[in-house]
Amino acid sequence: MLKMLARTGTGSGGSNAWVLQRISGLLLVVALFLHYLFLHFLNGGDVTWNEVTTRLASPLFKTIDLIFLVSVLFHAGQGLVINIHDYIHRPAPRVILVSLAWLLMIVLLITGTVTIVTLEPGFLQEMQMGQAAGVIDAIQSQGVAL
Amino acid sequence: MPKRTFKIFRFNPETDSKPSYKTYDVECEGWWTVLDALNEIKWFVDGTVTYRRSCRHGICGSCAMMINGKNDLACELQIKTLKGTITVDPLPGFEIYRDLAVNMDPFYAALKRVKPWLINNDPYPSKERIQSPEEFKLMGDSIACILCAACTSSCPSFWSDEQYLGPAALLKAYRYTFDTRDKGLGDRIDALDNKHGLWRCHKITNCYHACPKHLNPTEQISKLQRRIIEEKM
Repeated sequence: MLKMLARTGTGSGGSNAWVLQRISGLLLVVALFLHYLFLHFLNGGDVTWNEVTTRLASPLFKTIDLIFLVSVLFHAGQGLVINIHDYIHRPAPRVILVSLAWLLMIVLLITGTVTIVTLEPGFLQEMQMGQAAGVIDAIQSQGVAL
Repeated sequence: MPKRTFKIFRFNPETDSKPSYKTYDVECEGWWTVLDALNEIKWFVDGTVTYRRSCRHGICGSCAMMINGKNDLACELQIKTLKGTITVDPLPGFEIYRDLAVNMDPFYAALKRVKPWLINNDPYPSKERIQSPEEFKLMGDSIACILCAACTSSCPSFWSDEQYLGPAALLKAYRYTFDTRDKGLGDRIDALDNKHGLWRCHKITNCYHACPKHLNPTEQISKLQRRIIEEKM
């Protein structure tokens, strides 16, 4: 049973896995290009929280980011598993490490998806302003004139 | 005759707890190959040195071994091309029977898995299955493989995965897949298209550097991968 499990891991590990690895790699190149284009060139190099969150909160960018997230996690997960298969020869540690690698990818996928889906524009700014207002109130309540 | 020093790997699993090297000084003729020196040692100095040999002119593939850290045929490698002490090890990645003789069973088992014979269930033609010179060229130089295992034994993917087919078996699969008379890809695809088959190759190219016949298994494996993808699309 353990031996059988140890041979699993990347699904078939055959041509399907190979093709998917290439496709996800290609998507990463495109996503990285878009990232640089939008973040560092099209906005004149002015990277502020407000601008970035406003852009990232649009449905188009949320979709791009989700595709980016899935590609990067699949690509990284598969790469990790291939390395584990190359270097870990005993069935038990191999099964454990492969399971851990995919578990890590699933956890990252969930947290990443939640972050992307719930992202709202200018969130930090509101929070900072709220905090600042609270601080000002506190100072004023001490009788200090600002 | 110049005297050359040979450092030979010695291990007898029945009596030795671990392997060791034994050094022999041999007076060599200028035209000698490493195999000539090994014969000199075995026949006149130490009869217990064990190695495989047969044809002694680079056709049978029996005398593949690691010479100065590189897999080669002992019968083809001239001593005058090597500098200093000549270290001779068995092919890496295989179980050692004794000294330089290794257990080649995994190599032949992998070869058998790719069905290295012509598969064609069409009715026999009246004369022969004609192949044009252009069709013949599709197979490239893969037909020149002598199955010495220098490539497979130099492959780190083979060292790490005992189930891996290895470059020699994959080259043989290439040879039949690109033979226009062969129709057996469907029969071979299960052995090829899994993680112990074609896709375990990480293009390290050790096989290319090790091949005493100057073949390029890495390139042929890439072509075979493309063919399998096309077949599945």
